[in-house]
Amino acid sequence: MTREAELPHRYCVYGLRVASDRPLLLPPDASDGFCDLEIVHGDERTLAAALAGGLVESESDGWFSRSVLADGSHHVRWDTVGEFVVSADGRRMLCRRMDSAEPASFHVYMLGQALSYALVQQGLEPLHATAVVLDGEAVAFLGGNAFGKSTLAACFLARGGRMLTDDLLIVRESDGIVRAYPGPARLKLFPGIARRLLGDVGGAPRMNVDTRKLILPLDSTLTCAMPARLRAIYSVAPPRDAARRPHVAVERVSRRGAFVELLRGTLNRRSRGPARRTRQFSTLARIVETVPIRTLSFPRSVERLTEVRDAVLDDLAEGRSVPTPSDFAPSVN
Amino acid sequence: MPLSFSDRVRVAPDVLFRLLSDEAVLVNLKTECYLGLNAVGARMWNVLTTADSVQSAYEALLREYDVESSRLRADLTGFLDQLVDQQLIEAIPPGPS
Repeated sequence: MTREAELPHRYCVYGLRVASDRPLLLPPDASDGFCDLEIVHGDERTLAAALAGGLVESESDGWFSRSVLADGSHHVRWDTVGEFVVSADGRRMLCRRMDSAEPASFHVYMLGQALSYALVQQGLEPLHATAVVLDGEAVAFLGGNAFGKSTLAACFLARGGRMLTDDLLIVRESDGIVRAYPGPARLKLFPGIARRLLGDVGGAPRMNVDTRKLILPLDSTLTCAMPARLRAIYSVAPPRDAARRPHVAVERVSRRGAFVELLRGTLNRRSRGPARRTRQFSTLARIVETVPIRTLSFPRSVERLTEVRDAVLDDLAEGRSVPTPSDFAPSVN
Repeated sequence: MPLSFSDRVRVAPDVLFRLLSDEAVLVNLKTECYLGLNAVGARMWNVLTTADSVQSAYEALLREYDVESSRLRADLTGFLDQLVDQQLIEAIPPGPS
């Protein structure tokens, strides 16, 4: 365990208290005492030493690799960005930024995908979702990469919404209320959409060298720094499915359908095992029981975004109940 | 092995079940396979896993639903086959209680 004096920078993100040896792009946390996660920076040698115990499982798609170490730690690496070792209990992250990576890009990976390993190891169930706050309540858009979650969020920001989290959603339940927790104050968007919805984006760094997607820091007038009650989840249809349907559609789903949508929207699905499955089962079922879940399909045209936003607002205003099938025939799927 | 209507069934070890309103979801922790049941499937599951035998579950469901007995028998048999295939239930052979 690292001594507190070596981790002087304190932050709060996703409801976790984070202590770091270097400044991070997060709002500071003034509270003292116990932290949930230590973030320590190292060099190539430090990381190599952390991997010396050997790997028990490893996979790579060229640019990204993920390994499980003999002590249960996870090692994740993006070739042009950085690498991270997350301890088996999820309470410590050792990280190294590649020389070629922009600090903002490195932080996006650190506080997004790499951190999601720590969250899972800590017993939380992160969802691949972006959330905005409308009239004091959170509305989440669930879906995979390039599904348009951040674009939808930007569309709501342009009309007075506030950003809660981009790409990684942590929810916690207490007293029968499911709350969504704030992530880093930024949004990732392609330049054209960003300019159109948010105005000037000059100087914003790119996510990585292989994409034009920008990392846009958001000031406090555009963000919500407090947890918010989760009002609804919209599971965004994949672009290939949306292409077959020319209209905007918000559709109700059965509760078991909603469970499947959430299951598809979990992160780090390769992290398996009975303990996680048990927790996942209970967490997702509780969300389904508490939060309305819809599917949202829309043509990927910037000209139709206002229509999409209005459809979501109409649905929120209606607050329709979830139907159940009534015909006789058992169904297993 | 197919189940007999004289068998009693129980939930297999490592299977979690959750009723969501009148539908249900299950997970088999051993196979890491999730399943969803519609309202009729969820009710069949509940009756099957608490009845003394498949036959008594069948009779209870026949009283509960407005359905032809032959259709219920066929549906129940198909449902049981799926549950056994997915290792969600197992048979307790009939014997002295």
